[in-house]
Amino acid sequence: MVNPIIKLEEVDKEYGKGKNTVAALKDVNLEIMPGEFVAVVGPSGCGKSTLLHVSAGLEQPSSGRILLDGVDVTLISERDLPKVRAQKIGFVFQSFLLIEDLTSYENVESVLWPSKDYTKEKQEARALEVLREVDMLERRDHRPAQLSGGEQQRVAIARALVNDPPILFCDEPTGNLDSKTGESILKIIANLNRDRKMTVVLVTHNEELTKFAKRVLRMKDGRITSDR
Amino acid sequence: MNWRILFKSLKVAFRARKRVLFFMIIYAVLYIQLGRGLEGTSAGADPILWVFVSFVIATVYAVLIAQFRRRDIAILKCISWQNNDILLLLIGEVVLVSFVAFLLVFNVSVYILGLITYVAGVGPLLSELTGIIVIDLPFLIPAVLIIVFLQLPGLAAAQYRAMKIPPMRALREE
Repeated sequence: MVNPIIKLEEVDKEYGKGKNTVAALKDVNLEIMPGEFVAVVGPSGCGKSTLLHVSAGLEQPSSGRILLDGVDVTLISERDLPKVRAQKIGFVFQSFLLIEDLTSYENVESVLWPSKDYTKEKQEARALEVLREVDMLERRDHRPAQLSGGEQQRVAIARALVNDPPILFCDEPTGNLDSKTGESILKIIANLNRDRKMTVVLVTHNEELTKFAKRVLRMKDGRITSDR
Repeated sequence: MNWRILFKSLKVAFRARKRVLFFMIIYAVLYIQLGRGLEGTSAGADPILWVFVSFVIATVYAVLIAQFRRRDIAILKCISWQNNDILLLLIGEVVLVSFVAFLLVFNVSVYILGLITYVAGVGPLLSELTGIIVIDLPFLIPAVLIIVFLQLPGLAAAQYRAMKIPPMRALREE
Protein backbone atom coordinates (compact mmCIF):
# COMPACT_ATOMS: atom_id res chain seq x y z
CA MET A 1 0.00 0.00 0.00
CA VAL A 2 1.34 3.42 -0.97
CA ASN A 3 1.33 6.08 1.73
CA PRO A 4 0.42 9.69 0.97
CA ILE A 5 3.42 11.93 0.32
CA ILE A 6 1.54 14.93 1.73
CA LYS A 7 -0.97 14.53 4.52
CA LEU A 8 -2.81 17.29 6.37
CA GLU A 9 -4.86 16.39 9.43
CA GLU A 10 -7.33 18.91 10.88
CA VAL A 11 -5.13 21.84 9.94
CA ASP A 12 -6.13 25.34 11.05
CA LYS A 13 -4.22 28.51 10.34
CA GLU A 14 -5.09 31.81 11.95
CA TYR A 15 -3.47 35.21 11.56
CA GLY A 16 -3.66 38.02 14.12
CA LYS A 17 -4.79 37.96 17.72
CA GLY A 18 -8.03 38.55 19.66
CA LYS A 19 -10.71 40.43 17.75
CA ASN A 20 -8.43 40.77 14.72
CA THR A 21 -8.04 37.03 14.21
CA VAL A 22 -8.53 35.90 10.63
CA ALA A 23 -8.95 32.19 9.95
CA ALA A 24 -7.13 31.40 6.69
CA LEU A 25 -7.53 27.61 6.93
CA LYS A 26 -10.31 25.81 8.76
CA ASP A 27 -10.11 22.13 9.63
CA VAL A 28 -8.38 21.10 6.41
CA ASN A 29 -7.89 17.36 5.82
CA LEU A 30 -6.03 16.31 2.70
CA GLU A 31 -4.04 13.40 1.33
CA ILE A 32 -1.90 13.65 -1.80
CA MET A 33 -0.34 10.50 -3.21
CA PRO A 34 3.15 10.31 -4.79
CA GLY A 35 3.18 11.35 -8.45
CA GLU A 36 -0.15 13.23 -8.34
CA PHE A 37 -0.62 16.59 -10.07
CA VAL A 38 -3.03 18.55 -7.92
CA ALA A 39 -4.35 22.01 -8.75
CA VAL A 40 -5.79 24.16 -5.95
CA VAL A 41 -8.19 26.80 -7.23
CA GLY A 42 -10.44 29.34 -5.63
CA PRO A 43 -11.11 33.06 -5.35
CA SER A 44 -8.54 35.47 -3.99
CA GLY A 45 -8.24 35.22 -0.19
CA CYS A 46 -9.78 31.74 0.03
CA GLY A 47 -6.64 30.33 1.67
CA LYS A 48 -5.08 28.45 -1.24
CA SER A 49 -1.65 30.08 -0.93
CA THR A 50 -1.73 29.63 2.85
CA LEU A 51 -2.49 25.95 2.28
CA LEU A 52 0.61 25.72 0.10
CA HIS A 53 2.89 27.62 2.50
CA VAL A 54 1.73 25.59 5.49
CA SER A 55 2.06 22.31 3.58
CA ALA A 56 5.60 23.25 2.52
CA GLY A 57 6.65 24.14 6.07
CA LEU A 58 7.19 27.81 5.20
CA GLU A 59 4.61 28.67 7.85
CA GLN A 60 3.53 26.70 10.89
CA PRO A 61 -0.18 25.87 11.23
CA SER A 62 -2.08 27.12 14.29
CA SER A 63 -3.18 23.53 14.95
CA GLY A 64 -3.25 20.15 13.24
CA ARG A 65 -0.60 17.86 11.77
CA ILE A 66 1.28 18.00 8.45
CA LEU A 67 3.20 14.98 7.23
CA LEU A 68 5.62 15.33 4.32
CA ASP A 69 6.72 11.92 3.09
CA GLY A 70 5.90 10.50 6.53
CA VAL A 71 7.73 13.26 8.47
CA ASP A 72 5.58 15.36 10.80
CA VAL A 73 6.86 18.87 10.04
CA THR A 74 4.85 20.39 12.90
CA LEU A 75 7.09 18.54 15.37
CA ILE A 76 10.34 19.69 13.80
CA SER A 77 12.17 22.68 15.29
CA GLU A 78 12.57 25.89 13.30
CA ARG A 79 16.31 25.11 13.19
CA ASP A 80 15.92 21.67 11.58
CA LEU A 81 13.02 22.51 9.27
CA PRO A 82 15.27 23.82 6.43
CA LYS A 83 17.00 20.39 6.23
CA VAL A 84 13.65 18.65 5.76
CA ARG A 85 12.51 21.22 3.19
CA ALA A 86 15.78 20.82 1.28
CA GLN A 87 15.28 17.06 1.02
CA LYS A 88 11.56 16.95 0.33
CA ILE A 89 10.40 20.03 -1.54
CA GLY A 90 11.04 22.46 -4.33
CA PHE A 91 9.09 25.73 -4.45
CA VAL A 92 8.20 27.93 -7.41
CA PHE A 93 6.84 31.39 -6.54
CA GLN A 94 4.68 33.79 -8.47
CA SER A 95 7.29 36.56 -8.25
CA PHE A 96 10.21 34.21 -9.08
CA LEU A 97 12.19 35.29 -5.98
CA LEU A 98 15.61 35.20 -7.60
CA ILE A 99 18.55 36.93 -5.93
CA GLU A 100 19.39 40.00 -8.00
CA ASP A 101 23.15 39.91 -7.31
CA LEU A 102 23.50 36.33 -8.57
CA THR A 103 23.54 35.03 -12.13
CA SER A 104 20.97 32.43 -13.29
CA TYR A 105 23.56 29.71 -12.74
CA GLU A 106 24.44 30.94 -9.25
CA ASN A 107 20.77 31.30 -8.31
CA VAL A 108 20.26 27.64 -9.16
CA GLU A 109 23.51 26.43 -7.62
CA SER A 110 22.99 28.44 -4.40
CA VAL A 111 20.50 25.82 -3.17
CA LEU A 112 23.38 23.33 -3.04
CA TRP A 113 26.05 25.58 -1.47
CA PRO A 114 25.16 24.57 2.11
CA SER A 115 25.00 20.88 1.15
CA LYS A 116 27.68 18.51 2.37
CA ASP A 117 26.35 15.71 0.13
CA TYR A 118 27.45 17.45 -3.06
CA THR A 119 31.10 18.22 -3.88
CA LYS A 120 31.87 21.51 -5.67
CA GLU A 121 32.12 19.66 -9.00
CA LYS A 122 28.84 17.83 -8.42
CA GLN A 123 27.11 21.10 -7.48
CA GLU A 124 28.30 22.74 -10.69
CA ALA A 125 27.36 19.76 -12.86
CA ARG A 126 23.93 19.47 -11.27
CA ALA A 127 23.17 23.19 -11.70
CA LEU A 128 24.13 23.04 -15.37
CA GLU A 129 22.06 19.89 -15.86
CA VAL A 130 18.84 21.45 -14.54
CA LEU A 131 19.45 24.68 -16.45
CA ARG A 132 19.72 22.59 -19.60
CA GLU A 133 16.50 20.83 -18.66
CA VAL A 134 14.57 24.13 -18.62
CA ASP A 135 16.40 25.37 -21.73
CA MET A 136 18.26 28.16 -19.92
CA LEU A 137 21.84 26.96 -20.28
CA GLU A 138 22.74 29.70 -22.74
CA ARG A 139 21.49 32.39 -20.36
CA ARG A 140 23.34 31.04 -17.33
CA ASP A 141 25.56 34.11 -16.90
CA HIS A 142 22.69 36.58 -17.02
CA ARG A 143 21.35 38.25 -13.90
CA PRO A 144 17.58 38.25 -13.23
CA ALA A 145 17.25 41.88 -14.38
CA GLN A 146 18.58 40.83 -17.81
CA LEU A 147 15.97 38.08 -18.23
CA SER A 148 12.31 38.16 -19.29
CA GLY A 149 9.60 37.03 -16.84
CA GLY A 150 9.30 33.64 -18.52
CA GLU A 151 13.07 33.14 -18.41
CA GLN A 152 13.20 34.12 -14.74
CA GLN A 153 10.48 31.57 -13.99
CA ARG A 154 12.42 28.88 -15.86
CA VAL A 155 15.45 29.66 -13.69
CA ALA A 156 13.21 29.50 -10.61
CA ILE A 157 11.97 26.07 -11.74
CA ALA A 158 15.58 24.91 -12.26
CA ARG A 159 16.36 26.13 -8.73
CA ALA A 160 13.42 24.15 -7.37
CA LEU A 161 14.65 21.00 -9.13
CA VAL A 162 18.35 21.17 -8.39
CA ASN A 163 18.20 19.19 -5.13
CA ASP A 164 15.97 16.59 -6.78
CA PRO A 165 13.01 16.86 -4.39
CA PRO A 166 10.03 14.48 -4.70
CA ILE A 167 7.49 17.31 -4.24
CA LEU A 168 7.11 20.53 -6.22
CA PHE A 169 4.93 23.32 -4.83
CA CYS A 170 3.96 26.03 -7.31
CA ASP A 171 2.32 29.21 -6.03
CA GLU A 172 0.66 30.98 -8.98
CA PRO A 173 3.73 30.33 -11.17
CA THR A 174 2.12 32.00 -14.19
CA GLY A 175 0.60 34.94 -12.30
CA ASN A 176 3.19 37.44 -13.54
CA LEU A 177 3.41 36.07 -17.08
CA ASP A 178 1.43 36.52 -20.29
CA SER A 179 -0.83 33.62 -21.26
CA LYS A 180 1.50 32.14 -23.91
CA THR A 181 4.56 32.18 -21.62
CA GLY A 182 2.42 30.90 -18.74
CA GLU A 183 1.28 27.96 -20.84
CA SER A 184 4.90 27.06 -21.70
CA ILE A 185 5.86 27.19 -18.00
CA LEU A 186 2.93 24.92 -17.11
CA LYS A 187 4.03 22.48 -19.82
CA ILE A 188 7.48 22.25 -18.19
CA ILE A 189 5.83 21.56 -14.82
CA ALA A 190 3.47 18.97 -16.35
CA ASN A 191 6.44 17.24 -18.00
CA LEU A 192 8.23 17.05 -14.64
CA ASN A 193 5.15 15.34 -13.21
CA ARG A 194 4.90 12.95 -16.15
CA ASP A 195 8.58 12.13 -16.73
CA ARG A 196 10.06 12.34 -13.24
CA LYS A 197 6.90 11.29 -11.39
CA MET A 198 7.23 14.39 -9.22
CA THR A 199 4.27 15.22 -7.02
CA VAL A 200 3.08 18.67 -8.07
CA VAL A 201 0.79 20.94 -6.08
CA LEU A 202 -0.19 23.98 -8.13
CA VAL A 203 -2.07 26.95 -6.74
CA THR A 204 -3.81 29.09 -9.32
CA HIS A 205 -6.83 31.31 -9.74
CA ASN A 206 -6.80 30.61 -13.47
CA GLU A 207 -9.35 27.85 -14.25
CA GLU A 208 -7.73 27.36 -17.68
CA LEU A 209 -4.61 25.93 -16.07
CA THR A 210 -6.46 23.16 -14.24
CA LYS A 211 -6.44 21.20 -17.52
CA PHE A 212 -2.84 20.19 -16.72
CA ALA A 213 -3.83 18.68 -13.35
CA LYS A 214 -5.22 15.21 -12.71
CA ARG A 215 -6.97 16.33 -9.53
CA VAL A 216 -8.56 19.70 -8.76
CA LEU A 217 -9.25 20.99 -5.26
CA ARG A 218 -11.57 23.94 -4.90
CA MET A 219 -11.35 26.18 -1.85
CA LYS A 220 -13.65 28.75 -0.30
CA ASP A 221 -13.31 30.60 3.01
CA GLY A 222 -10.39 28.45 4.18
CA ARG A 223 -12.05 25.12 3.46
CA ILE A 224 -11.74 22.57 0.66
CA THR A 225 -15.21 22.53 -0.88
CA SER A 226 -14.59 20.17 -3.77
CA ASP A 227 -12.03 17.46 -4.59
CA ARG A 228 -12.20 15.93 -8.09
CA MET B 1 32.62 26.16 8.50
CA ASN B 2 31.33 26.02 4.93
CA TRP B 3 34.23 27.55 2.95
CA ARG B 4 32.27 27.41 -0.30
CA ILE B 5 29.63 29.78 1.06
CA LEU B 6 32.32 32.08 2.50
CA PHE B 7 34.14 32.32 -0.85
CA LYS B 8 30.86 32.83 -2.69
CA SER B 9 29.91 35.53 -0.21
CA LEU B 10 33.10 37.47 -1.05
CA LYS B 11 32.11 37.32 -4.71
CA VAL B 12 28.56 38.42 -3.96
CA ALA B 13 29.79 41.24 -1.71
CA PHE B 14 31.86 42.65 -4.58
CA ARG B 15 28.65 43.05 -6.57
CA ALA B 16 27.25 45.45 -3.96
CA ARG B 17 29.96 47.83 -5.20
CA LYS B 18 28.75 51.19 -3.90
CA ARG B 19 28.14 50.03 -0.33
CA VAL B 20 31.31 47.97 -0.16
CA LEU B 21 33.52 50.77 -1.56
CA PHE B 22 32.00 53.31 0.82
CA PHE B 23 32.71 51.15 3.86
CA MET B 24 36.21 50.22 2.61
CA ILE B 25 37.09 53.91 2.67
CA ILE B 26 35.48 54.36 6.11
CA TYR B 27 37.44 51.37 7.45
CA ALA B 28 40.68 52.64 5.94
CA VAL B 29 40.16 55.95 7.74
CA LEU B 30 39.42 54.06 10.98
CA TYR B 31 42.65 52.03 10.65
CA ILE B 32 44.64 55.20 10.12
CA GLN B 33 43.02 57.06 13.01
CA LEU B 34 43.25 54.15 15.45
CA GLY B 35 46.80 53.35 14.28
CA ARG B 36 47.84 56.96 14.85
CA GLY B 37 46.17 56.86 18.25
CA LEU B 38 48.13 53.74 19.17
CA GLU B 39 51.36 55.36 17.92
CA GLY B 40 50.61 58.16 20.33
CA THR B 41 52.46 60.62 18.11
CA SER B 42 49.61 62.69 16.83
CA ALA B 43 47.83 65.31 18.88
CA GLY B 44 44.09 64.77 19.19
CA ALA B 45 44.08 61.09 18.14
CA ASP B 46 42.77 59.53 21.33
CA PRO B 47 42.80 55.72 20.87
CA ILE B 48 39.89 55.19 23.28
CA LEU B 49 37.74 57.61 21.28
CA TRP B 50 38.62 55.80 18.04
CA VAL B 51 37.98 52.40 19.59
CA PHE B 52 34.52 53.66 20.50
CA VAL B 53 33.94 55.18 17.03
CA SER B 54 35.15 51.91 15.42
CA PHE B 55 32.80 49.89 17.60
CA VAL B 56 29.81 52.03 16.61
CA ILE B 57 30.66 51.96 12.88
CA ALA B 58 31.41 48.22 12.85
CA THR B 59 28.12 47.47 14.62
CA VAL B 60 26.08 49.77 12.39
CA TYR B 61 27.72 48.27 9.28
CA ALA B 62 27.03 44.66 10.29
CA VAL B 63 23.40 45.48 11.08
CA LEU B 64 23.11 47.44 7.82
CA ILE B 65 24.29 44.44 5.79
CA ALA B 66 21.53 42.32 7.34
CA GLN B 67 19.07 45.13 6.54
CA PHE B 68 20.21 45.58 2.91
CA ARG B 69 20.23 41.82 2.36
CA ARG B 70 16.79 41.34 3.98
CA ARG B 71 15.17 40.14 0.76
CA ASP B 72 18.07 37.84 -0.08
CA ILE B 73 18.02 36.37 3.44
CA ALA B 74 14.28 35.67 3.19
CA ILE B 75 14.76 34.03 -0.23
CA LEU B 76 17.66 31.90 1.04
CA LYS B 77 15.45 30.77 3.91
CA CYS B 78 12.73 29.86 1.41
CA ILE B 79 15.25 27.69 -0.45
CA SER B 80 16.22 25.98 2.81
CA TRP B 81 19.37 27.74 3.96
CA GLN B 82 20.01 27.55 7.69
CA ASN B 83 20.82 30.58 9.85
CA ASN B 84 24.50 29.63 10.21
CA ASP B 85 24.94 29.56 6.44
CA ILE B 86 23.24 32.93 6.14
CA LEU B 87 25.59 34.38 8.78
CA LEU B 88 28.54 33.29 6.63
CA LEU B 89 27.12 35.34 3.78
CA LEU B 90 27.12 38.41 6.04
CA ILE B 91 30.60 37.65 7.42
CA GLY B 92 31.96 37.44 3.86
CA GLU B 93 31.20 41.10 3.20
CA VAL B 94 32.71 42.20 6.53
CA VAL B 95 35.87 40.14 5.87
CA LEU B 96 36.17 41.60 2.38
CA VAL B 97 35.79 45.20 3.54
CA SER B 98 38.15 44.77 6.53
CA PHE B 99 40.85 43.06 4.47
CA VAL B 100 40.73 45.33 1.43
CA ALA B 101 40.76 48.44 3.65
CA PHE B 102 43.86 47.06 5.40
CA LEU B 103 45.55 46.41 2.04
CA LEU B 104 44.63 49.92 0.94
CA VAL B 105 46.24 51.59 3.97
CA PHE B 106 49.24 49.26 3.87
CA ASN B 107 49.79 49.81 0.16
CA VAL B 108 49.46 53.59 0.35
CA SER B 109 51.86 53.64 3.32
CA VAL B 110 54.42 51.57 1.42
CA TYR B 111 54.11 53.75 -1.69
CA ILE B 112 54.58 56.99 0.24
CA LEU B 113 57.55 55.61 2.17
CA GLY B 114 58.98 54.33 -1.11
CA LEU B 115 58.59 57.76 -2.65
CA ILE B 116 60.29 59.40 0.32
CA THR B 117 63.23 57.02 -0.02
CA TYR B 118 63.35 57.53 -3.77
CA VAL B 119 63.11 61.31 -3.79
CA ALA B 120 66.20 62.65 -2.07
CA GLY B 121 64.76 65.87 -0.68
CA VAL B 122 61.42 65.31 1.00
CA GLY B 123 59.03 67.98 -0.16
CA PRO B 124 56.57 69.59 2.24
CA LEU B 125 53.57 67.88 0.59
CA LEU B 126 55.10 64.42 0.92
CA SER B 127 56.07 64.88 4.55
CA GLU B 128 52.56 66.21 5.21
CA LEU B 129 51.10 63.06 3.61
CA THR B 130 53.40 60.87 5.66
CA GLY B 131 52.05 62.43 8.83
CA ILE B 132 48.47 61.92 7.73
CA ILE B 133 48.45 58.44 6.16
CA VAL B 134 51.58 56.43 6.88
CA ILE B 135 51.12 54.10 9.86
CA ASP B 136 53.94 51.88 11.08
CA LEU B 137 53.08 48.20 10.72
CA PRO B 138 53.48 47.46 14.47
CA PHE B 139 50.62 49.93 15.06
CA LEU B 140 48.57 49.16 11.97
CA ILE B 141 48.27 45.44 12.73
CA PRO B 142 46.88 45.93 16.29
CA ALA B 143 44.50 48.60 14.90
CA VAL B 144 43.16 46.10 12.36
CA LEU B 145 42.85 43.35 14.98
CA ILE B 146 41.01 45.67 17.39
CA ILE B 147 38.54 46.71 14.67
CA VAL B 148 38.03 43.10 13.54
CA PHE B 149 37.36 42.14 17.18
CA LEU B 150 34.91 45.03 17.51
CA GLN B 151 32.91 43.54 14.62
CA LEU B 152 31.82 40.59 16.72
CA PRO B 153 28.94 42.24 18.65
CA GLY B 154 27.71 43.75 15.38
CA LEU B 155 27.79 40.37 13.67
CA ALA B 156 25.90 38.84 16.59
CA ALA B 157 23.28 41.59 16.20
CA ALA B 158 23.17 40.98 12.43
CA GLN B 159 22.73 37.25 13.00
CA TYR B 160 19.89 37.97 15.45
CA ARG B 161 18.19 40.22 12.90
CA ALA B 162 18.67 37.67 10.12
CA MET B 163 17.23 34.90 12.29
CA LYS B 164 14.13 36.98 12.92
CA ILE B 165 13.40 37.42 9.20
CA PRO B 166 10.75 34.83 8.34
CA PRO B 167 10.96 33.19 4.90
CA MET B 168 7.49 34.46 4.12
CA ARG B 169 8.72 38.07 4.20
CA ALA B 170 10.28 37.52 0.77
CA LEU B 171 6.83 36.82 -0.59
CA ARG B 172 5.02 39.60 1.24
CA GLU B 173 7.53 42.27 0.18
CA GLU B 174 7.12 41.49 -3.52
